[in-house]
Amino acid sequence: MIDEYTEAAVQRLLTEHGGLAEQGIKVVRRERVLVLCGEVESRQRRDEILRLVHESFPDVPLSVDIGVTRANAPTEAEELP
Amino acid sequence: MIRVAAVGDVHMDQDVVGRFRPALDRLPEQADVLLLAGDLTRHGTESEARCVAAEFGGLGVPVVAVLGNHDHHCDQVPQVVKVLTDAGIAVLEGDSTVVDTPGGALGIAGAKGFGGGFAGRCASEFGEPEMKAFVRTTSVTAEQLGAALRELDCDTRVALTHYAPVPDTLAGEPPEIYPFLGSYLLGQAIDSAPTALAVHGHAHAGTERGTTPGGVRVRNVAHPVIKQAYSVFHLG
Ligand SMILES: [Fe+2]
Ligand SMILES: [Fe+2]
Repeated sequence: MIDEYTEAAVQRLLTEHGGLAEQGIKVVRRERVLVLCGEVESRQRRDEILRLVHESFPDVPLSVDIGVTRANAPTEAEELP
Repeated sequence: MIRVAAVGDVHMDQDVVGRFRPALDRLPEQADVLLLAGDLTRHGTESEARCVAAEFGGLGVPVVAVLGNHDHHCDQVPQVVKVLTDAGIAVLEGDSTVVDTPGGALGIAGAKGFGGGFAGRCASEFGEPEMKAFVRTTSVTAEQLGAALRELDCDTRVALTHYAPVPDTLAGEPPEIYPFLGSYLLGQAIDSAPTALAVHGHAHAGTERGTTPGGVRVRNVAHPVIKQAYSVFHLG
């Protein structure tokens, strides 16, 4: 069972750890697993989140569903008359 | 018609350099100006600002930015601003700039903005000094933004902030954190002038579209929201 204090601590680690600074990751507490989802700007950042959260909370099973935000040129403009 | 490109929350560091460049090389075909809606860096260091300058400098169209909360984290704002300015990126904070485009003079008033919340659910300038300072920070920046918008001499006005001026574009974020994501005072400032479009970032889990109570269209252009290198808006 993962408690609320762990959830809060992970959320703050994501933002406040110098190597992360991620405020856009959603932390969802399930019965047996802590789910981290959202988007980051690079693969390295995703890997670093996984590594540092695991290092700080070795007993918390993690499920990580974090994508890298696409950066293609837009195919359409929005008309605002 | 004026073509405005915009993106926020690119959170640049060494690991992101080059990711936007293929799209940015095509930007001058699609837009007359690029607006950067804050959180340009991860921690607001000078070296991260150099990554922003490398990625978004020398595009062939004017680039106008505001800073975000991340850009303030390391207390190096003057250095960050200098690096960006040296790269030809205009950084607004309670002031404005006018860009001449084939579709007319585009006036951009910008400010980072701050939190406080929205009508009926907002913080008040009351009680502890910390609370008063929090709300005061927002009201001062909102007043500057409003004055900058009203004083603009141009054909089309755009407001650029990092924090949100309306709750509409926050849909998707937990309602409990709305007071940290924006303030109705920014919306009121935007509505005090005939603004054509208000662009902001900050709310990574928010929604693209909203309007102010006065009917000004608001767009959340945070990169994780738009999921492309930048969005383009055709005004007029
Ligand atoms: Fe951000
Ligand atoms: Fe932000």
